[in-house]
Amino acid sequence: MKTILGIEGLFKDFSGLEVLFDLNLEIYEGERHAIIGPNGSGKTTLFNIITGLYRPSRGKIFLFDKNITGWSSHRIARSGLSRSFQIINNFPKMTVYWNVRSAVVSRFNRRFNWTTILDWDKEIERECDRVIDLLSLSDVRDVPASELSYGKQRHLELALTIAREPILIMLDEPTAGLNSEETRNAVQLIRQLTEGKTLFMVEHDMDVVFNLADRITVLNYGRILATGAPDVIRMNEQVKKAYLGRK
Amino acid sequence: MNRLPVRQLSWGALGLAVLFILPRFLPEIRIHLMTEIFIFALFAVSFNLMFGYAGQLPFGLAALFGVGAYGTALVFNHFPGIPLLAALLIAALSGAVAAAFIGFFCVRLSGPYFSLSTLAFQMFLYAVALKWRSVTNGDDGMGVVRPDLHLPALGSISMRSIHNMYYLTLIVVTIGILACYLFLKTPLGNSVVTVREKEIRASFLGYNVFLIKLLAFSASGVLAGLAGGLFVLYEEFVATTSLDMNMAMTPVLMTVIGGSGHFLGPVLGAVFYLMLQDWISSLTSYWMLLMGGMFIVVVLYFQGGLISLLKLDWIWRLRNRGNR
Repeated sequence: MKTILGIEGLFKDFSGLEVLFDLNLEIYEGERHAIIGPNGSGKTTLFNIITGLYRPSRGKIFLFDKNITGWSSHRIARSGLSRSFQIINNFPKMTVYWNVRSAVVSRFNRRFNWTTILDWDKEIERECDRVIDLLSLSDVRDVPASELSYGKQRHLELALTIAREPILIMLDEPTAGLNSEETRNAVQLIRQLTEGKTLFMVEHDMDVVFNLADRITVLNYGRILATGAPDVIRMNEQVKKAYLGRK
Repeated sequence: MNRLPVRQLSWGALGLAVLFILPRFLPEIRIHLMTEIFIFALFAVSFNLMFGYAGQLPFGLAALFGVGAYGTALVFNHFPGIPLLAALLIAALSGAVAAAFIGFFCVRLSGPYFSLSTLAFQMFLYAVALKWRSVTNGDDGMGVVRPDLHLPALGSISMRSIHNMYYLTLIVVTIGILACYLFLKTPLGNSVVTVREKEIRASFLGYNVFLIKLLAFSASGVLAGLAGGLFVLYEEFVATTSLDMNMAMTPVLMTVIGGSGHFLGPVLGAVFYLMLQDWISSLTSYWMLLMGGMFIVVVLYFQGGLISLLKLDWIWRLRNRGNR
């Protein structure tokens, strides 16, 4: 299978505090890969390093066989990797439409275009409405993001992430704070949105993980305990002791 | 959303028509004041492009105004035959180049660090203008002869008359402000606002935050430089006053008092500021005290600025309260 994202010997310490220790991981094309682990095990840090927010202390990251270690976030984002955030991270004062449009403009590489009027661009408008429709946000299209319900904000977060038509989608706890019904809907939605793409997600809800993921990686104190199919992980003694067993 | 903004366009056209016939009814001294208002309106708009739309306070924007002003004066003095419009173009370009240079160092900083580092550059340029006497003539300043304007169809227009200077300024400033308005409607203008709203989200959407801020600052520099060039033409003189602390404060006061949340807020601020200055300074030399007081009142009690009073929202609110 083709590797989309490769992590080789990754270390990260924050002034002496070791957060990630010799991480090696491959995400295959077309798979849905979940990373789980107790709080503070380094999951979000790993996401932040992959997406260029932090630099690793050591190690390399490959995206489509290109070494992207040390690249800036915007350059990585333009290479086909898109991420969401654990904490809602949208443009709060802008309407839903405007939020999505900022992502769509970027996808069409018109960020620096200064010779056309954006409001008159039918192509962008159509694409925005398609994304908004896909995430069932049409009824709040012209509402500022900060006035949306929490569930809708989660949807908008997903909309911003997928509007770039990424090849690799990275979701950081997409169901955090949702009730059980909303979570079921979110799983359905994520499954639909990532069809034919590669998904790499951090998630705490084990139902979501075992429902969605083709493979699971368990992280504990910055080290990988195990990687494998859900059934294999469920049976793994070490994983049970460190994480699952507590349930 | 996709229609032409007919209402705004017709208001704009009406406003321009009024400004075009106004000189017929005004004494010459008022025409001088109006010309100055136009120039500073452009300067304040360029300030607000950075302050209101890019969300960064460029305290030292007068550096670019000064570069435009000195650039124009030097060009006129060293190349006497240069066409007037070419000199203005050079003013705008030198503003942009200076902005790109200063911005390269400052734009990566944010908040007060950005503001103060731009001010540091301005003070540096001030020192250069003051001390490099062989080029800038120090605090004596340089005189400039306003050349005639040669237009292909209309022939030669004498710029000796303040009326013609008024019309030239009005047209150039209108083009500048309109260009700024349109710039904000382009995808690049949208990028500027997107980056202001949340840098980190924008960068994960693929926006190069540094480059977009740098472009916004350069666009701001084009307009500030152009305003500086016009100022020299109008005054027929340039001195260190176009680079001093007072000049740094002027667009800040105009924009905040006028209202930074609306595109035309800075224009209104410039009108108000210069008219009040004209009136009060004839009564007392402490007019800055009053302006400072106004600034504090606006910052504390109505941050929307004067333009928010024109929107008449508060009348509606009062009326609704009465109905309840």
